[in-house]
Amino acid sequence: MARTKDTLWRRYQYKINALVLILPFYFLYQSLTPEFPSSWGTKKISTFEITLTPYDLEAPYMHDGHFTKDFMLIFNKGNIQNIRQAYLNIGNEALPLTILEAEDEGILHGSQHAQEVHAIAPPILKAEHKAWLTIETWQGKQHITSWDLPSELLSK
Amino acid sequence: MRVYAHICLIRKIMSKLSNRFWFQLHGWFSLPIWVIFCFVCLTGTISVISHELTWLTNSASRASNPDNLLPKTAPELVSVVQKAYPNAKVSTVISFEPYLVNAVIFTDSDKPIAIAYVNQYTGDIQEINEGMTFINFMRSLHGWLLFPWHHNYSIGYYLVCAMAIVMLGALITGLIIYKRFWRAFTQPKLRINQGKKTLLADLHRLSGAWSIWFLLLMSLTGLWYLLQAIMWHNDIDIEPHSPIVAIKQLPLNSASNNENIPVPPYDLDKALSIAKQRFPAFNATYIMLPEHNRDTYKLYGEGDEIFYDQYAYGVVVDPWTASIKDERFPEKMTTLQTLSHIANPLHYGTIGGIWTKIIWFIFGVILTGMSITGFLMWGNRTVKAARNKTVAVTIELNQKLESTQSQPITKQDNT
Repeated sequence: MARTKDTLWRRYQYKINALVLILPFYFLYQSLTPEFPSSWGTKKISTFEITLTPYDLEAPYMHDGHFTKDFMLIFNKGNIQNIRQAYLNIGNEALPLTILEAEDEGILHGSQHAQEVHAIAPPILKAEHKAWLTIETWQGKQHITSWDLPSELLSK
Repeated sequence: MRVYAHICLIRKIMSKLSNRFWFQLHGWFSLPIWVIFCFVCLTGTISVISHELTWLTNSASRASNPDNLLPKTAPELVSVVQKAYPNAKVSTVISFEPYLVNAVIFTDSDKPIAIAYVNQYTGDIQEINEGMTFINFMRSLHGWLLFPWHHNYSIGYYLVCAMAIVMLGALITGLIIYKRFWRAFTQPKLRINQGKKTLLADLHRLSGAWSIWFLLLMSLTGLWYLLQAIMWHNDIDIEPHSPIVAIKQLPLNSASNNENIPVPPYDLDKALSIAKQRFPAFNATYIMLPEHNRDTYKLYGEGDEIFYDQYAYGVVVDPWTASIKDERFPEKMTTLQTLSHIANPLHYGTIGGIWTKIIWFIFGVILTGMSITGFLMWGNRTVKAARNKTVAVTIELNQKLESTQSQPITKQDNT
């Protein structure tokens, strides 16, 4: 006690941590005014017209032992009821349906208003990679289309 | 012999550590983060009664039942929403306490995500919520301070979980410096007429002693949340995903057009009856409907175990074959799964309904108060002591100055 000095630091050293509580207000503002990346464009495939939008421009992340990247797909035209199963993967080519249908990674799910997918992805994205959509209809027909990866994602 | 030697060594070290050291350690555990700790305690305390606060403040959340009707089943509630919103796609049905409405979560062409507050007795939709609920807001604020989630981790979640370490440290060091703390149970001491310093110290010690069980419970459940966060971050599954429907179960349509699209023969009603058949005491609290053709009905609920959460029982039903693809119940759980299902009821005090929630709320208030009294005690002991010392030094200096100034005059006078 004898060495105690009434300095500015001593007076406020245990109040500084309160500054962290500014962050929740900032994050609340961020969540109320969200910003999404631009869509990767619209593709026509069979009777469907689909717009692909990533949830973020981050690198793929590990989920259930696989690298994954999340997307939203809007079906502007076509009835999703006509789809038996559909998958999205990122890579040099579309994965064969026999491999895709073995597990649930990369399967499209959601509603007629918006479909979501945890797409199968490589750990590092390269310029030669594309996002490949494989749709199988109830008649067993396969339709495949792809989107180029935007350059801002490749540096991740 | 080795254990005895260890104990002797620990005793030797402990005896050398002074009370002052433990006192300082107690302060180091709590003071540097006391405002965040106080905020986490406060938001946690409000979260405990967030369901009841919602009931009090929002009449649309109340499941009033003047005609004493039996609650409707989840499939009936889904059809209520489907009828009101023909383009809606219902994804989830959640039930809460019997005095709160059920939540039916759906999407529609103009609603990316919406919650229908459906009175489970009357079948009325009392509100459509398209934003954040108070319950979710409070739990997010308490759980991770609204810090964003980067897929499988949040810095805020780690920050809040780390409070368990400082809480446990403060509890242990507090018990070491508070000699014969058990006297607080038999001879509680709260001196209100002997000054602020005494009152604060008595309040802090008395609250601490009576909250030992609560501090221990919050610390241990907090440490579990920390461990859980590390496992999430490292992609270690506590509960593995249920298998999806085998593709061969989905019949191909031979017709060249899109008529006669195959639909699963078994609906939610059937899935619910399968769950009840499997677990007779099953009370569904969280139901997820299939999100694609190979998806399953996931029905989670509570049984009659007091310490397990409302999702301790579960049945995953294949809508194409009505077979059970996966199931969950306490006896089948691994240690980690058991911990994940008992942590929340112990942390939020839901084990005995509203009465335990009230007890948890009261001790939450006490804990919030302890962080404030602790800081005020430090303020009194150090800053004010320093100020007093500064004042004392100033007075002493002034006196010296006065005496040195008066001395020549005296000398002059003498001469």
